[in-house]
Amino acid sequence: MRPLRIAGVGIEALAAHKLRTFLMTAGTLVGVAALTVVMAMGEGTRRKIMKRIQNFGPDAIMIPAGGGKRPGPDMSTTTLTLQDADAIRRDVPGLRIVSPMAWSFQMSVKRDDRHYQAIVWGVEPGWHDAWRWYTVTGEGISAADLATKAPVCVLGQTVKRELFGEEYAIGQHIYINRVRLRVAGVLGERGASPMGGDFDNRVILPLTTAMRRVMNVDHLGAIRVITDDPARLDEQAEAIGRLLRKRHHIEPPEEDDFRVITAEIIARFATGSSRTLSILLAVLAGLSLVVGGVVLMNILLISVKERTKEIGLRRAVGASRRDVFTQFLAESLSVTLLGMAAGLLVGCGLCGALPRFSRVPIAISWEPIALAAAAAVAVGTFFGIQPARRAARLDPVEALR
Amino acid sequence: MIELDDITRTYGDGAVTTPVLEGISFRVEQGEYAAIMGTSGTGKSTLMNLLGLLDRPSGGRYLLGGTDVTELDDAALSHLRNKKIGFVFQQFHLLERTSAKKNVLLPLIYAERYPPDADRLAEQALVTVGLADRVNYRPNELSGGQQQRVAIARALVNDPELILADEPTGNLDRRSGLEVLGVFKRLHAEGRTILVVTHDQAVAEHADRIIVLKDGRVAEDRRVDHPRNVEAELAELKQQEARA
Repeated sequence: MRPLRIAGVGIEALAAHKLRTFLMTAGTLVGVAALTVVMAMGEGTRRKIMKRIQNFGPDAIMIPAGGGKRPGPDMSTTTLTLQDADAIRRDVPGLRIVSPMAWSFQMSVKRDDRHYQAIVWGVEPGWHDAWRWYTVTGEGISAADLATKAPVCVLGQTVKRELFGEEYAIGQHIYINRVRLRVAGVLGERGASPMGGDFDNRVILPLTTAMRRVMNVDHLGAIRVITDDPARLDEQAEAIGRLLRKRHHIEPPEEDDFRVITAEIIARFATGSSRTLSILLAVLAGLSLVVGGVVLMNILLISVKERTKEIGLRRAVGASRRDVFTQFLAESLSVTLLGMAAGLLVGCGLCGALPRFSRVPIAISWEPIALAAAAAVAVGTFFGIQPARRAARLDPVEALR
Repeated sequence: MIELDDITRTYGDGAVTTPVLEGISFRVEQGEYAAIMGTSGTGKSTLMNLLGLLDRPSGGRYLLGGTDVTELDDAALSHLRNKKIGFVFQQFHLLERTSAKKNVLLPLIYAERYPPDADRLAEQALVTVGLADRVNYRPNELSGGQQQRVAIARALVNDPELILADEPTGNLDRRSGLEVLGVFKRLHAEGRTILVVTHDQAVAEHADRIIVLKDGRVAEDRRVDHPRNVEAELAELKQQEARA
């Protein structure tokens, strides 16, 4: 193919001028490397958020007691009650599960001489379905446990490991607030909580046992609701808010004493820290590509000037304007594609090294490669056209003089 | 082969124009060896550029091998240059850091189809100009005369109908110049059409015909009844050198 042969001339010129080629490549290299890291961070963050949303439950609404902005637990508010949960069950249509919870953070859980600070949740049997979180050994919380305020508990993986190690825990006993509880089951591993903490650091009790025997409270920590129809989630969240405001006699300018949290709100908080770094790197990537492109263009323009006689000769032996244009554009594109390849390598290397220095989530996917290729072609074309055009426009008679 | 009919070329545009060629007409037949002469500023370089399709006339008609080339676009002219014309320049214009063979291959890159035996063609062209043993030498490793012969090989590789040489001996000593003229003579004997532009009477007299330009017009167009004998002159030169 003739155009390929002529493009080959441009590439040969690169091989003949290695330092010049390196200088032309540098900008694209840095730009693409930064781009790769930004994309990997973006993808890492996206996956982290997805994981949290998945853990939270895309079809779930959490109603923790206490107002304010942050979705953390508030132990001091005592206005959320079992009657509120019943009212939601009764008055808001389209809900599959309404799961009231009492909770206490940082309770000392003992077994013989071992202590462990765990989060304790009192729950109804529907809780397992509400969180899609089941026991891997033993039994979960049952309706009978709830009815009889049974002194039983189910352990999260972290608590199980801390108190029992590799031992078989089912049937053994632990103490919380001097209440003796039989271990009925052990939950499956869950990983990070929607807010980023350890989700497996939990002990689950029947709600009645927790309220009457262990925590001695009348109020709930939170109510978790699972919808039948995720499309109606927002509308249902609104309805729950209205209902509770009415029951708690809150008039709108007044602050709520509860919050209604959906997966969307969780996602908003998860974006967090990596954002600033991402923006900085994206700016760096853009700048490098532009500056690199300008450098590339200038070196090419100088090279056109230096090679005026060569261009004249090529025209004399049969190169058309278009051929000369092709040659220089190929040279420019080869430079940026080379820079892209090197930049991807450096970027992937950085992505491999970054987790050692920072907790920024990183995930490499195919998008940076596609974007880098697009950026390389765009920069190579945009900044290559001007020099190529100038080379093509040279008058062969003048050039050969 | 070549038919010029009242060719004019004017430089500049608008108010100030400088006519360089003011109506040139002549024909060159296939297989002729002609010299175009004139003192500097008489338009011989301009004429050479027009004949070589590097420039367009301002007026008149130019038939090359029967085709009117005055109205052709850049791509078509480039194609014709590649296929029909071989250039030899005063300054050689070889690519530095590039072997003799690669220099000779250059026109083939722009050919419509790259010949599968391109390497052989290039080597053969170098043999024709007497550089069989310099195939892989770079220009800076060759003498001026050898460089000019590489340039001639480059002009030959596409098997063109017309060889256009612009002061081909201008940068060479007498002996190298004679060697180059010797190559032209052999090419002429093979039936190629050769046009040499020169200001040097001695160079022109190697051709069969001399066209003299003066003030942008053909002042004289004559046959050379007894062209100079390259071999005899070279032999004489060698004798002189031996005596000195």
